Amino acid sequence: MVLIEIKNLSFTYANTEEPAIKNIDLTINEGEFVLLTGPSGCGKTTLCRCLNGLIPHFYNGEMEGDVIIDGLNTREHPVYELAQKVGLVFQDPENQLVSLNVEKELAFAPENLGLSREEIRRRVEETLQLLKIEHLRHKAPYELSGGEQQRVAIASVLTLKPKILVLDEPTSNLDPKGAEQVLKTIKKLNDELNVTIILIEHRLDLILPYTSRVILMNKGEIILDAPPYEAFCSSIPEEIGVDIPVSIKLYNELLKIGMKFNKVPLSAKDAAELLTGVLK
Amino acid sequence: MIEVANVWFTYPEGTIALRGVSLRIGDGESIAIMGENGAGKTTLIKHFNGLLKPQKGTVLIDGIDTKEVSVARLARKVGLVFQNPDHQLFSSTVEEEVMFALKNLGFTNEEIKERTNWVLEFLDLEKYRERSPLSLSGGERKRVALASVLCVKPKILVLDEPTIGQDAKQKRKLGELLKKYQEEGNTVIVVTHDVEFASKYFKRIIVMARGKVIADGPPNKVLTNQIILNESSLSPPQVTILSYEIAKKISNFPKDIVLFNDLMQEVIMRVKR
Amino acid sequence: MSYTMFSAFEFKRKDTYIHNLDPRTKMLMTFIFMTVALLFTSIVPLLITFIATLVPVLLAKSIKEWLSSLKGTTMLLIFILVINSFVRDLNFAIAMVLRLIVLITAFSAFFLTTHPDDLAQALIQMKVPFDFAFALSMATRYVPTLAREAQTIMDAQMSRGLELQKGGLTQKIRNLIPLIIPLIVNSVRRAMSIAESLESRAFGAIKKRTYLYQLKLKKGDFFFICFLALFFVAMIYLKFYSPFATWIEWKLPL
Repeated sequence: MVLIEIKNLSFTYANTEEPAIKNIDLTINEGEFVLLTGPSGCGKTTLCRCLNGLIPHFYNGEMEGDVIIDGLNTREHPVYELAQKVGLVFQDPENQLVSLNVEKELAFAPENLGLSREEIRRRVEETLQLLKIEHLRHKAPYELSGGEQQRVAIASVLTLKPKILVLDEPTSNLDPKGAEQVLKTIKKLNDELNVTIILIEHRLDLILPYTSRVILMNKGEIILDAPPYEAFCSSIPEEIGVDIPVSIKLYNELLKIGMKFNKVPLSAKDAAELLTGVLK
Repeated sequence: MIEVANVWFTYPEGTIALRGVSLRIGDGESIAIMGENGAGKTTLIKHFNGLLKPQKGTVLIDGIDTKEVSVARLARKVGLVFQNPDHQLFSSTVEEEVMFALKNLGFTNEEIKERTNWVLEFLDLEKYRERSPLSLSGGERKRVALASVLCVKPKILVLDEPTIGQDAKQKRKLGELLKKYQEEGNTVIVVTHDVEFASKYFKRIIVMARGKVIADGPPNKVLTNQIILNESSLSPPQVTILSYEIAKKISNFPKDIVLFNDLMQEVIMRVKR
Repeated sequence: MSYTMFSAFEFKRKDTYIHNLDPRTKMLMTFIFMTVALLFTSIVPLLITFIATLVPVLLAKSIKEWLSSLKGTTMLLIFILVINSFVRDLNFAIAMVLRLIVLITAFSAFFLTTHPDDLAQALIQMKVPFDFAFALSMATRYVPTLAREAQTIMDAQMSRGLELQKGGLTQKIRNLIPLIIPLIVNSVRRAMSIAESLESRAFGAIKKRTYLYQLKLKKGDFFFICFLALFFVAMIYLKFYSPFATWIEWKLPL
């Protein structure tokens, strides 16, 4: 079922000359796990903001084309309505955790909607359990590690029960342990609850095994939209300066010297498998 | 030359950040300091330019005890670039931003002009000379912040998490730049989480955990040591993970590879004809 | 630096009788202590009031924080003592110093034991508009963040040779520019970032917001309110009916 439909979308921020994104045509189905990547300044963050209505309602500028989220045109619906379809998680947890403790943080969004106290309580409990963070319930943001903070930030948008979760470089400020925790959580949401994920990430090697689709952007446009094994076997990522996961790099190099394989390895294990028949 | 001798440091709120750290860093070395958040990495580098003074033990920079000189004096020798460029930028033009440190440290007008030209060229910022630093993009601002410290041509350059928020191309450029600076005889030290970056561009890896140094050696010894990695919650570079997996299936395949080219060599050597 | 002056007004999470009181009860406490302090200009009643204000601070196990902030205000207190000795007399001066200590302690007892979010919730339940109460609690929530940022900015600029102690007054003021500009710029950026995050969580969706937690006055609150009421009545009686006029007006033999 189509959840996100973007038709000929362009956006130019106020007081700038060049559009930040142009001619974006995109369709995303429910349950997909999409990796959005590209060099700095390619427009990925701008595209994310278009998905929950921050563009055009919060950011001034000129928008062309349409973004339709689960049947709602973002031009015609305010952000607080779209926020119930699309949860947006940002890079820095410090600017997302505004409350006294984790429990209140999770309650914040449903409180804003004026839901009944029982409903708010129910959603808070459900989300705490889902993300296995009940033990953090009474902790203040500064008492949490980076990974815990980001998981709480994710939880705090999940209480609106969105079908889509968009995450803009959620692991940038985290150490490797924190990053792993967050990525595992995202994968679980996709696997167990069929939440549609759009993830902007640079650490491709960790995500690749989970994604079904890679969207590569450069200079405001989508230049590649393909499954991972196709996306990284082309020369495009290297040209625009995106790192290719090592297993695929190995595969590409071996192809160059004339070897043939029937599968593209998406992980180190895959690559090792591939090599067993071929090496002494 | 940096000599750290049994340094202990506790923050006012009570966290013991360094527990008896001892190190020697010679001229012209290239070092990556790694470890979990809270391991003491940032605390350690703040001792290199005197921002923090050890409560026990000493830190000597070229023989000078950091307890006896001001931060400004050490700034001539030790350049410290912080993680967030927005914590530094305040001038109306990039040129002025660069000149700030030079003026503070008492360089002559001639020297200021010469060094400003040099650093803007070195970091490909000449085209932004008259622009306001605050109007530039994130990556460009990071370069300006680096320029504003590099212009001093410190013998010891220290960068705190320089790769955060950078894409692959920017990281590559940075790594090459740092290598170039180090090849001119300067010491380059980075604090980083990025195992890929560390393994590619640095010759010596120092791993810290809970206020102590737990490993100190070349990448192919340190970043392939599972025990050290577990203790510091680091994962090995992708290339190393791949070589582990291959080693599981192919006997005699080396497990301590960190560079891609080395991996390719080993694989190609073993291809059945 | 001199952050110690503010330590008596910074919330510290502890589990004490006072910490667990409703913020509205504590607001009443501060108001009553403040009013009583302003009623008197002689040593004895102010001393009594001072002892009364020490009670919540003691019960909140926060004597250390309160003392460290008093330390920070010693200069101010000495100043008040000296000026008032010249304007009136030493007895009056001592009384004024006591009065100031009482005021500081009364506010300290509130802020040490009340979390900004609880304060915001109290204000909301007292019909203060949500936006205002929320702005207040956000401001307090980000104070430590800003303080940390200010320190980092100072470190970064010092690492570029900035010497804050050097030079005359004009130089010292100019030296503040590399500190203030990044702080302001970053604060504005941060505000935008926070606003984005709030919008994305339906902030401002409807006027009638609901709340997971409601503050309710409990038994402990009623006891404390009784104590406050008795104290207030006693002091009013003392002031306006002065049955013990002589010893109230007792002065130091100077």
